[in-house]
Amino acid sequence: MAIDTVPPLIAAQLNYLLSHSPLPIKVEQMWSGSKNHGLLDRFTLVIPFCLDYIRWDVIYNALYPLAAPDIIFGPEDESFRPYYAAGEEGDLKSPKNSMSDWNCKDPTRLLSLILELRELYMTYQRKRVGEVEDERLKFELSTIVSREGIEMYMSSGIEKTEEVKFALPLLGVDINKMVTGCPWRQKQKIFLQVIFPVGRKYMSTPSAPRLKLVASPELKALFSIEDFRLPSWLDGMCMAEYLPILEGLLQSQIVDAVSSIDVRRKFIVALAPLFGRPVEADPVFCRKAAFLTSSGVFTFLVHFSLPLQFPKQQPGLMLQSSQHFNPSGAPVKSPVITEFPWSPRWESSEMAERFFDYLVEECLNFKKYCNESLLQQR
Amino acid sequence: MDDLPLQKIQISGPTLASLLQRFSSSPGDVDGLLFGRVTHIATSTFSDDDPTTTAAASSSSFDSPTLIATITSFMGSTSTSTFYDSAGRLNLLSLRRLFSDNQTLSLLGWFSGRRKTPLRPSMRESAVTSSLSSKIQFAFQVENSPKSYTFSPCVFLLLTTPFHDQLIHTHEYRAYQFRLSTESFEPQTLDVINIGPAFRGHYGAFCPNSQFPLLPCQLRVSSSMAEDENCESESLKSMERVSEDQRVLDMCAEDFDVGRLNRLIGSDAANYAGELEDMYKKMLAKLEGLAKFVEKSSARVLEQENRNMKLRYRVAGLE
Repeated sequence: MAIDTVPPLIAAQLNYLLSHSPLPIKVEQMWSGSKNHGLLDRFTLVIPFCLDYIRWDVIYNALYPLAAPDIIFGPEDESFRPYYAAGEEGDLKSPKNSMSDWNCKDPTRLLSLILELRELYMTYQRKRVGEVEDERLKFELSTIVSREGIEMYMSSGIEKTEEVKFALPLLGVDINKMVTGCPWRQKQKIFLQVIFPVGRKYMSTPSAPRLKLVASPELKALFSIEDFRLPSWLDGMCMAEYLPILEGLLQSQIVDAVSSIDVRRKFIVALAPLFGRPVEADPVFCRKAAFLTSSGVFTFLVHFSLPLQFPKQQPGLMLQSSQHFNPSGAPVKSPVITEFPWSPRWESSEMAERFFDYLVEECLNFKKYCNESLLQQR
Repeated sequence: MDDLPLQKIQISGPTLASLLQRFSSSPGDVDGLLFGRVTHIATSTFSDDDPTTTAAASSSSFDSPTLIATITSFMGSTSTSTFYDSAGRLNLLSLRRLFSDNQTLSLLGWFSGRRKTPLRPSMRESAVTSSLSSKIQFAFQVENSPKSYTFSPCVFLLLTTPFHDQLIHTHEYRAYQFRLSTESFEPQTLDVINIGPAFRGHYGAFCPNSQFPLLPCQLRVSSSMAEDENCESESLKSMERVSEDQRVLDMCAEDFDVGRLNRLIGSDAANYAGELEDMYKKMLAKLEGLAKFVEKSSARVLEQENRNMKLRYRVAGLE
C-alpha cells in the first residue's frame, strides 16, 4: 500500500473544489479512516462564513469509492439537519438534493454539495437568529433584512455568552472599476461586522454593539482598513441609522484614496528626468519605484516606497549597491533612510530635485558604508 | 408512538465487547442494527417527608414512566450504508431482511462505527436515526409496564477512535436516544452488565436468545411389536413424533438420545445429576462443532471480502 496517498476520485473532487470555489475554502488537515493508514480519505474544510470560519469534517471511505461522503458539522450545530429525510428510498416525493444521486466520478460534486450545504446553513442561522427573544435584536433584524448578501451567526455555548453576529456588505459600488488597470481578479469587498450581545432583560439604554471593518486582503494596496476610524455609535442608535453614515464616510475616503494614486504617479514621473526611467515601478497603485543610477564608477539602485498617506507622510528611501555583496551573496543595502529634506507642500518637480541633490551627497556615505562592510567580511 | 425518555441504556458485556471487536477488526467503517428490549422499572419513593411536598416531586414519575433499554444483541456487517442510501433514506426491503431473523427481540436502534472522527452524530446518521424512529411499523411494546406504551427504535450507538493513535485509550463510544419531540440526540449513560455477583440483580431484563426446546419427557416408545394392525398406524405416528423430537434435540445437543430425557424426572430420575451433566457435555460438544463450522465459513467470507475489496480498489483507480 502506498504511503499516504489520496485516492484519485477523492483527490479529483477536492482539487476541483479548491480551484473553482468562489469562496476561499481551505483544507485544514487530511487523515486516513481505514485500518491501514495508507489512504487519506478524510479531511477538515475551513469555510468562510459571516467573516469567520466554520469547520466541517468530510468523511469519505476509501474502501467504498462509489459511496457519497458524509459530513460532520461543528459541535454547536447539532440541530442543523440539512436533508431531513422523511421519505424512503425511491420515494418520489422527497426532494432531490446533491446527495440523492451521487456520482463519484464527477469532480464537481463535492463543490456543489458544500455550496448547497452552506446555503442551507445560512438559512438555518437566520432562523436561529430570528428566534432569539430580544426585542432590540428583533427590531434590528427587521430593518436590515432587505439588504442583500447579509450573513448572520448566532453563537452560544456553555462558557460563552450568547451573541448574534452580522456581516453586512458595504458600498454597492465596484471598487475594481474605480482603479485604472486594476489587477484584482475578484471583486474587492468591505464588510461591517456587528456583534450584539443577546440580552433577555430589558435595559433602558441598550449597549452599543462591537463593530469591526473587514475587507478583502488585496484592498490594502489602495486603502487601509485599519487606519479608518469608525464613526461612533451613539446611544439609542440602530443599524439602519448607522450604516448610511458609515457608508458615506467610507465612500469619500475611497474616492480620496483613488485620487491619491495620481499624486503618487506624478511624483514618480517627476523623478524620471533626473534619475532616468525607473527600472521597476508599480504602474497601478504607484506604491514603489526603483531607479538605477551612478556616481562616478559606483553604480547603485535607489528604492522609493510611497505610503498611502503620501505626500502627508514622507516616502521611504533605501539604497542598494550593485557592486558590493554580503557573505550570503545578496547585494549590500542601506537601512531605510528617513532623515532627508522633505516638505509635503513642495511641487513634485521640486521634491525630485531635492532628492537628487540629497542623494549626490548621500551616495558617497553609502559607498563608504559598503566598502566598510566588505572590509569587515575579510 | 409515545415519545418517552429513557432513564438509561444497558448493554451486556459480551455484546459490547463483540461490537468493539467487530469495529476494530473491520478495515473500514461499520454499521448495523441493535436488538433488545425496553422494560419499565417501578420506582419506589421512600421518603419521610410531608406527603404534600413529595406529591409535587413524585407527580413527574407518574407522568413519565421509568424506562430502561437493554441491548442484548446486534446484527452488523463489515460495510456501511447497509440499510440506507447516501441521503439517509431507509431501504425498507434490506432492513426487513436483516430484521426478520430476529423475531423474539425488538429493533432498538442502530450503531455506527467510524475511525478518527469526532464523537457526535454526522449529517447522514442524524437523517437515518430520525427516519428510523419515525417509522411506525418498527414500534414495539414496552415490557413489564402497567400501562401500554409503545417505543420506536430511537437508540443510536456511536463508536469512534481517538484522533491520534494511542496505546491505552483505543475506542470511544456514546449512546444516544433520539427524541422525536425535540428532534435532538440526548446522550444516555451506557451501563455495562457483566456476569458476576455484583450484577445479579440486573439480569432481570435478560433472557436467553436460544431457549431449550419444549420436549415431552414421558415417551412411550413401543419397542414391543404391535400385532394389531390398527396400532401400526398409531405407532408410526408416535415414531414420527419421536424422530421429530430427536431432530429438535439435536439442534442443541450432540448425540443425546431423546429417550434418555425421561431419566431426568420422575421415578427413574435416581441418577439425574449424572444424566444432566452428560447432556450438558453433549450440548457443549454441539457448540464446539458449530464454532468450527462458523470458523470455516468465516474464512470463506473473508476470501470473498478480499476479492471484493480488490475490485473496489480497481474501480477507485487505486491499483
